[in-house]
Amino acid sequence: MTLKYRILVIIGLIIASGVALFPRNVKERVKGPNGFVYDTVRRVPLKRGLDLKGGMHLALEVDESKGPVANKADALDKALTVVRTRIDQFGVSEPVVQKSGDDRIIVELPGIDDPQRAQEVVQKSAFLQFQITDKTQALEKVLPRLDAIVKTSGTTVAANTPANGTAAAQAPTPAPSTDLFTTDTAAKRPADSAKTDSAKTDTAAVAPSTAGGFSKLIQQGQMPGEYFVADSDMPTLESYLSNPAVQAALPPGKVIRFGSDSSQLANRLYRTMYVLDAKPIITGENLVDAKPNTSPTEGTIVEFQFNNEGGRKFRNETSRHIKDYMAIVLDDRVMGRPPIIQSAIGSRGQITMGGRNLQAASDLALVLRAGSLPTPLKIAEIRQIGASLGQDSINKGITAGIIAIVLVVGIMTIYYRFSGLLSVAALVLYVLFTMATLAGFGAALTLPGLAGFVLSIGIAVDANVLIFERIREELSHGKTVRTAVDEGFKHAMTAIVDSNVATALTAAVLYQYGTGPVRGFAVTLLAGIAASMVSSIFVVRTFYMIWLSRSRNTQTLSI
Amino acid sequence: MLRILHDTNIDFIRWWKWAVGITAAFIVLGLGSFLINPRINFSIEFTGGTMMQVEFAKPVDVGALRGALDKAGITGAEIQQFGTNREYTIRAQEAEQRGAATTGAESVAKGIERVLNEQYGPGQVRVVRSEAVGPRVGDELRRDAVIAMLLSFLVTAVYLAIRFEWRFSLAALLATMHDVITTIAFLKIMHLEVSLTVVAAILTVIGYSLNDTIIIFDRVREDLRKGRKESLYQTLNRAINETLPRSILTHATTLAATLALLIFAGEVIRPFAWVMAFGIFTGTFSSIYVAGPTLLWIERQWPRKIGISKGTSTATRTSPTRRSTATATR
Repeated sequence: MTLKYRILVIIGLIIASGVALFPRNVKERVKGPNGFVYDTVRRVPLKRGLDLKGGMHLALEVDESKGPVANKADALDKALTVVRTRIDQFGVSEPVVQKSGDDRIIVELPGIDDPQRAQEVVQKSAFLQFQITDKTQALEKVLPRLDAIVKTSGTTVAANTPANGTAAAQAPTPAPSTDLFTTDTAAKRPADSAKTDSAKTDTAAVAPSTAGGFSKLIQQGQMPGEYFVADSDMPTLESYLSNPAVQAALPPGKVIRFGSDSSQLANRLYRTMYVLDAKPIITGENLVDAKPNTSPTEGTIVEFQFNNEGGRKFRNETSRHIKDYMAIVLDDRVMGRPPIIQSAIGSRGQITMGGRNLQAASDLALVLRAGSLPTPLKIAEIRQIGASLGQDSINKGITAGIIAIVLVVGIMTIYYRFSGLLSVAALVLYVLFTMATLAGFGAALTLPGLAGFVLSIGIAVDANVLIFERIREELSHGKTVRTAVDEGFKHAMTAIVDSNVATALTAAVLYQYGTGPVRGFAVTLLAGIAASMVSSIFVVRTFYMIWLSRSRNTQTLSI
Repeated sequence: MLRILHDTNIDFIRWWKWAVGITAAFIVLGLGSFLINPRINFSIEFTGGTMMQVEFAKPVDVGALRGALDKAGITGAEIQQFGTNREYTIRAQEAEQRGAATTGAESVAKGIERVLNEQYGPGQVRVVRSEAVGPRVGDELRRDAVIAMLLSFLVTAVYLAIRFEWRFSLAALLATMHDVITTIAFLKIMHLEVSLTVVAAILTVIGYSLNDTIIIFDRVREDLRKGRKESLYQTLNRAINETLPRSILTHATTLAATLALLIFAGEVIRPFAWVMAFGIFTGTFSSIYVAGPTLLWIERQWPRKIGISKGTSTATRTSPTRRSTATATR
């Protein structure tokens, strides 16, 4: 290749790098006066990893703690779609939702400021059901039997409270504490139904009952299938319900569900308990839209809409259940007080959110829109890095990088003088090329990557050192400058290629088996190897050629 | 021109027994400490559990912090100062928390955050980083790290066997294994936290040390092709001497970059920088004193019949090697 083409190639590479790195408009989530907003900012298009940008990394797995999941791979694929839909609507820039291996979903949310909320949105099952409350007094009919069971196995069951670790381990405790709607009041009901029923019942005096072990814990509520349980009795009741004998004696075709929140009656906190028809009249499957809204009378609400089929089904079912109470059950938790069905309901309805704010409503609408998770997910790994720590890491990394460059430049120019300067010029191009490669391939710069990059500044000159030492040897053998340069490059080449390929192979292995930040390190290493091959061999060679062509009769070389 | 250790003729290999003694002593010291305390300071990435980095508005005493956590029932947490006395890392194993709540790996972090907020008041403490890893993920990451290390051995060994010859490849591989073992001893002695980043550093050390070995072996390969009438012992010494200026220069620049990282790049990257700094020394050492003597030993066990290259200069190959056997054993 003639000198002219070499120069053209180098200029071309510099231009290409410049284009790859040129600041451009990027749509990004930035912190505004009222929280995070989307904004268009102009910046260098170099992606930063989560550990430098701050954000949240989640690895989710199928949760089998509450029973085996039949088709795990299939369930995970469906869950992936649901999680992706939810995250896409959640509003972070450049989120990542991907499958890792065949049993894990990776979610990366850069710049997230409320990790708790993000986690809820991802993990919420969002399985919506509409179930009619029991009006056949089914529970009352089996109460004597339940009391008898509790009495006979009283000692063991009583020991089954969570206070006793070993016993609690034997009986799977229900998991109300993991529920996502444990806080505020959340009364919800279809819009068309009677408004009369919504908030008037809290005044009912709950007379203490003196019946047997089980029945003394519960008190009849105002509507069919509604009961009250004192908050303090909840652990005991839950341990009773987890007893297999009790479970077997419960009325068939019915399920017991608790309300989502506690309410205060006569100075004591009570939870509502409902006995519901096990078969839902409709599920959230047919739901096509849900959006948050505020209503002057009811506060925050979520309006939802069924598709035609769902609307038809809902209308049919509700018309058969007029004067019945309908519980809206989300993730096995009854939302608010079941409203009475006054007339057939069509395809639209609403859920009132009680005291919860608009963001909670919009999050609920979001998960309802995205559909329910086919299987519960548990968090296998979570990393969360504050944005300030990331920025701090960048600043420190840049400081270290600048100092490394100064030191390396010092060593090279003092030792090799003019030739050292050539390698320093090549080093500048090396930094440029590496950055451009990372930007061009859209690879993210992570903290270990940044460290690897600083380190590679020291290692990048190795090829030049090898070449220069070789040229010195050739010169000391009495060769002319021109021959010495040629021979130096030629002989140093095998060592450079072999050592770089060996390093690249290690980096490739690291890429394959590394995760997150370490993978970023491997990418930076690979980009660095490629860039250093170009800069220290091709570029420095060209510099020498320029210099030799300008001083044709040179006898000495400053090296 | 400025020259360091140029045209030297030091008989490096002669001191190999001393070298073996030194490195063996170091390894025994490092690995021997396992007998006293068999625990490697693995990060939660490998063990599973919860790690939090918290920053306080005012300096906080470790004892007081531990007291606060103990009082809230978070016992057995490992608390370490992180840089200044306003920043700490708290590590808790999930298993220790299992009794109370089984809500998963993330709940421990929430618990700690709540306790700290209660104890020190809101706004006084800030969680800058938190990680929680389930035990299964920890197992997998550990497995992947081991696979990565073994695979990188294998891949580079195969490459060297192709580019050089199996004797060289084996010698380089043993030198690399030596580096890994001494680095583990170093990690143990320094009680550094072994995280994924440190594993990446170890792999970088492997690559760096391999570089060094390759540079020397490349010289040996070249000198053998020249067909000088000298033993492999002499060729090896000559190659080490010839590449000495390069070694010193490259180690100097790499060390400069590593020191910059060690001093200026902050606490998170410090274990990485420590491993790298150590790796520069152990890599240099092993290229000369592990790879070299091992190559001589292999040559003695399995003397080569024909030269490395099937090229022109193999005529005198058999006799130098045989002589090398003699000199190497003296």
